[in-house]
Amino acid sequence: MNNYHFGRGRTRWTPYLLLLPGFFFYLLIMLGPALATSVYSFTDASGIRGAAVHWIGMENYREFLFMGQASRDNYAALGRTLVFSFFVTSIQFTLGLGLALLVNQKLRGVNIFRTIFFMPVILGAVIQGLIWSLFLYPLGGPLASLLDLFGMRSEFLGGQPNEAMAWVIFIQIWANLGTTMMIFIAGLQTIPSDLYEGAKIDGANAWQTFRNVTWPLLTPSVNTNLLLNIIGSLQAWQLFLVLIGYRNGTQVLGYLIFAQGFGQTSGSVTSAFRQGYAAAASIILFLLVLAIGIPVQYYLQQRERRILG
Amino acid sequence: MSTITTTVEKPQSRAPARPLRWGRIFSYITLGLIALIYLGPLLMLVNTSLKSMPDFMKSATALPSSLNLDNFVEAWEKANFLRYLTNTLIYTVAATVLYCITAVFVAFPISRGYVKGAGLLLTLYVIALFLPVALIPQFQMMLALGLYNNPFGYVMLFLVNPIGIVILVNYIKTLPIELDEAAAMDGCGYFRFVTSIALPLMQPAIATVAVLHAIGIWNELILPTIYLTNKDYYPITRGMIVFQGVYGSDWPTLAAAVLIMTLPMIVLFLALQRYIVSGLTAGAVKG
Repeated sequence: MNNYHFGRGRTRWTPYLLLLPGFFFYLLIMLGPALATSVYSFTDASGIRGAAVHWIGMENYREFLFMGQASRDNYAALGRTLVFSFFVTSIQFTLGLGLALLVNQKLRGVNIFRTIFFMPVILGAVIQGLIWSLFLYPLGGPLASLLDLFGMRSEFLGGQPNEAMAWVIFIQIWANLGTTMMIFIAGLQTIPSDLYEGAKIDGANAWQTFRNVTWPLLTPSVNTNLLLNIIGSLQAWQLFLVLIGYRNGTQVLGYLIFAQGFGQTSGSVTSAFRQGYAAAASIILFLLVLAIGIPVQYYLQQRERRILG
Repeated sequence: MSTITTTVEKPQSRAPARPLRWGRIFSYITLGLIALIYLGPLLMLVNTSLKSMPDFMKSATALPSSLNLDNFVEAWEKANFLRYLTNTLIYTVAATVLYCITAVFVAFPISRGYVKGAGLLLTLYVIALFLPVALIPQFQMMLALGLYNNPFGYVMLFLVNPIGIVILVNYIKTLPIELDEAAAMDGCGYFRFVTSIALPLMQPAIATVAVLHAIGIWNELILPTIYLTNKDYYPITRGMIVFQGVYGSDWPTLAAAVLIMTLPMIVLFLALQRYIVSGLTAGAVKG
């Protein structure tokens, strides 16, 4: 490190010393516990202070994956996590891109629309969830009234598990679409305007311009959004907690981890403080994120190299 | 640019303007419809909060028969909001200030390569997005340290934010290294350089990171659910969920409570929009 200009000898240690507090907390609160999750997944740890912890090998994994009804429920939760992630990612990505293109035009008032679409992002899961619980109030709420006009009825979040899931997907997208849109807008604004003028001179129509100028040059934002949306939606579950609670037929992996690890008595399912088991479930979710995230990341990087050189 | 020409030369611009105008109408209609999905739930919230319970029972969507502000008074008193809001404010400010101070001293030497293994350190922060859920060992550690159900322990949980580090590192790269050299030449020490020269220059990035971090703490629901069992320590999010559990069917009061919680966020959002947007997107783009 020859480029350090602020002295030698003992003063050379100053940057290390000052870095230490921040890095210490990162190790203590995030990196350490994240790595220790794999260790805990081989134990029967409970959440009770002073209770003995035993090494039980692969038992948690065996139970999670190969034990009768419980493991069938786990596979269902795993499948639901994938379905949730697929729909959230694909819809949020497409809509986010469409909205970004719309509000990136030179139109009066587009800034107001940007603000409106971005607003839910800052409200957090509690407010997002409660606002929609009210809007989906089944006894004469706005949407129930609208359905009533067509002679239809629905329990929305309290209805069939699949319908409740669909609503959580919808609200998840509603809540986070603003971020996707803003990342696309940031990307759109890096595209030099003379490229568009050139395309216009060449007589390209709107679709051709999008296909040959906008889309390839948007590659960095495309990559960011895809990766963030995939990983984020695989791990998301807070809206489930606020909107429907831990209900059979709607659990996703993230919620299952929380319920097993910290107890959850609402609804028909009661679970104890099974932290070793929850740690094993965390590792399985982690492997799922890697199994999807790494190939996608690899593919996107290859694609970016091909397009942008 | 085009507005000047279109207003002055009407006849010529008519032909090319036509397809453009349809595109404009289509854009506005689409944007308007989607905006309705965004504003509708909020309008419903405001409408409900102004109603009496019998009003709401009669028709959930109709406008209130008389303006009724009792719900706000009731929500404020019953929900113990002052306590919860104060708690949230204390947690958010304390953790954000502490985090930002430590983060600057982590990001600066990493960005400049002033510590060995700077690249590895940065990688450790970048991969945080992929890390497994740390809740279980973290909980065991907090129990062992006696920080369970402890406001100090709760604040400590928020002294970490890897994305913030990445944002700062990227921003510091844009500051010319000649600054460091010149300051060092004049005999300025490392600590003084970072605090009195680099820090003011990093202000936009720090504001962005601070806002991003603060929003996360303000909205956090899972950690208070796990770590804070004493009602006196609840932040507003947890208090709100408990309030919902008790007053779940009394939507007018509940709506008033949600509105009390939402309004400051929206005002803050409109005031700090620039930093909020850059915070929630900048880290993402670079990370």
